[in-house]
Amino acid sequence: MKYGLFLGCNISFNRPDVEAAIRSVSPLLGVELDDLNGQSCCPTWGTVPSVDTIAWCAVGARNLALGEEKGIDLVTACNTCYSSLSEARYKMLNDAETMREVNEILKKIGKEYKGKSKCRHVAWVLYRDVGLDRIKKAAKYELDDIVIAVQPGCHFLWPSKVLPDREEDPFNPVVLRELCKVLGADVRPYTRMIDCCGAGALKSTNQEKSYKLAKMKLECIRKETDADLIVTTCSSCLIQLDEAQEMLRKRGEIDFSIPVLHYVQLLALCMGFDPERVAGICVTPRDEIISKIVESGRK
Amino acid sequence: MEEHVPAVINLTYLWKKEREELGEKVIETIKGFGAEGIEYCMQCGACSSICPLATTGFEWYNRRLIKAIDFGIRDELFDDVTPWACVACNRCVEVCPRNVNPFEVMFAMRRLMIEELAVPMTAVQALKSLYDHGHAVYTTGREARKKVGLPEKPPTTDSDEKALEELRVLLRNTKLPELGLFPMS
Repeated sequence: MKYGLFLGCNISFNRPDVEAAIRSVSPLLGVELDDLNGQSCCPTWGTVPSVDTIAWCAVGARNLALGEEKGIDLVTACNTCYSSLSEARYKMLNDAETMREVNEILKKIGKEYKGKSKCRHVAWVLYRDVGLDRIKKAAKYELDDIVIAVQPGCHFLWPSKVLPDREEDPFNPVVLRELCKVLGADVRPYTRMIDCCGAGALKSTNQEKSYKLAKMKLECIRKETDADLIVTTCSSCLIQLDEAQEMLRKRGEIDFSIPVLHYVQLLALCMGFDPERVAGICVTPRDEIISKIVESGRK
Repeated sequence: MEEHVPAVINLTYLWKKEREELGEKVIETIKGFGAEGIEYCMQCGACSSICPLATTGFEWYNRRLIKAIDFGIRDELFDDVTPWACVACNRCVEVCPRNVNPFEVMFAMRRLMIEELAVPMTAVQALKSLYDHGHAVYTTGREARKKVGLPEKPPTTDSDEKALEELRVLLRNTKLPELGLFPMS
């Protein structure tokens, strides 16, 4: 199994511990990663997708072509990258004129995109290509007595028609829950599981409304699951639920603290990697949950 | 530019404006910006029932924006930030029973607004950062990468001048330079 590791901006600069985690776990799970040198922003929604469809597809196609040249698909741990690249590819595959115009632009930099390579999400690669059995065997620690609330995130689910891997019912997603359960966790459902975390453009436009969504979700998790840990597949949800939670505490709007991890970080911790490297960046404290995993969870 | 949508909408005025001033219907303009399905909308409200913008109280969320565009309202919406708050979650696309693709309507509105420079500075900064660094989100401080034992620069345009120049050439060959948002030399 070989993939081009597509990093995206948030993981490269804000949460490189997620990058360290994915790089750590991959070789032990039989996944070979290519660096895709020269990759750029996916492009994210607030940039060229807000300007023009062709510009959106051209930036996406250049990134996808870096994999296609090597005969491999991309893999990302960021929901935004996953959906922006998937939607760009869908547009190009379903409209010959868009594909032609994009390739006219790519020709000026000596590139071409045929539509073969796609961008996969790391959670789907783990679930489908690596498999739950292999994940279970690779884990050194078991999450006994640890309650998890999952946050799959919008761009992991919709619009399902453009995504390379689809939940059977995107309004009742199971993949992330299964990935957590195989590590031994008690994964509890909650009413607002598929609600938006409030990150992205909503946050840069109106902080108050962004916090309102984060607060609704966090309070629901607290009340309905009493989770020890929130696990997500998205770098934006990770940052939002971790940072907005701290701000809500500072503002006296909530009085609890639930650590947040990206799934690959949780997996890396269970596989015994150094917590400082694979989960060392956060504002909502993780020390307690990490000790609990490492000290009391040995198989 | 009108500052807001008036309390009473004068359909005759809007109809005349489309014919005499704009030269095309606003809905046609929006279709041209990528929202080809907008006319299939029957105002059922499925999209607004699950829209995070509607939940949090933004004024011109998907269903309402579609209706306003159908009426021929255009400039009066330029001071409203709702399209720029859209998280592109695509729930609306998933639930729409008529293949309207409300997400593309929100983004077509952005594409029209950006031509009129009705664009928040955060979006301009993200575009400029994409052009300057190849990343919309970019920081010069690399303590975080060093802390987790990774090379200071990721294997992206950040560590590859040739790739960055390639991306810049690509962007200069899109519609972006025409907009005059920032210098692109």
